[in-house]
Amino acid sequence: MKFLVRKLDNLSVSCREAARLQSAALDRKLTLLERFGLRCHLLLCKWCSRYGRQIEFLRSVAREQAQDDRHAPLPRLSPEARQRIKRRLQSEKE
Amino acid sequence: MLRLRDATRAEDAVQETFLAALKGGSTFSGRAAERSWLVGILKNKIFDYFRKASRETSFTDLEFYSDEEDGSFVPDGLGKDSWLHDRGPHDWSGPGASLDSEVFWQTFRDCSNKLPKKVGAAFTLREVDDMESREICAMLNVSESNLWVMLHRARMALRRCMEENWFGRKEMPQGKML
Repeated sequence: MKFLVRKLDNLSVSCREAARLQSAALDRKLTLLERFGLRCHLLLCKWCSRYGRQIEFLRSVAREQAQDDRHAPLPRLSPEARQRIKRRLQSEKE
Repeated sequence: MLRLRDATRAEDAVQETFLAALKGGSTFSGRAAERSWLVGILKNKIFDYFRKASRETSFTDLEFYSDEEDGSFVPDGLGKDSWLHDRGPHDWSGPGASLDSEVFWQTFRDCSNKLPKKVGAAFTLREVDDMESREICAMLNVSESNLWVMLHRARMALRRCMEENWFGRKEMPQGKML
């Protein structure tokens, strides 16, 4: 078992690299080598496994926020702005 | 408003949208899609703004938080490049429960508003609009590797901000571990 862990550790990347790779995986396809090094690392490191779950969670939060008005009380146009835009449109028409 | 992070700019965008609609009104046909037609124009106005803003921001945005990354890992010696434990990812409990809380969304907004303009734009285009890297690069005028660095640091910064301001709170809701 100890031997196995040491072997894995040799193959795996650092936490700094693992964080970078997990972020990159959200934006592009990782190379085979990158995936391998990352997998080995994640088997051993609970911090980085957490990190990956958390940034994915944040992505879903960002998406949900934009889709659902309830999460962001949307400000309406102020009456002044409404008037200003109306005037501008009127003058454009003439 | 959520995207432009500034009331005046949002108002301007709305005004320009109506102006453009007025000018292009003759090209528009079919009443049913009026709203989505306007929203489409508005979206383009917002993208225009991102383009313009990105030409104006200097390199500083790209260097954004290089210490966000450097400061999160052991700098040297034993365990070099592992997480510093007070900066690393801690347990986030009960994300499901948090989503119902208004304070959670407020915290999320505050944290994402802290990102520099260009980085925030990149983050929104990627995470919310699900735009491909190449398109974002063209719009913001950055290279792909720069974009990935920006996104990586944005995620790190946002994650830590949320941990400190939401998940780190004492009255953390209990639930499934994330």
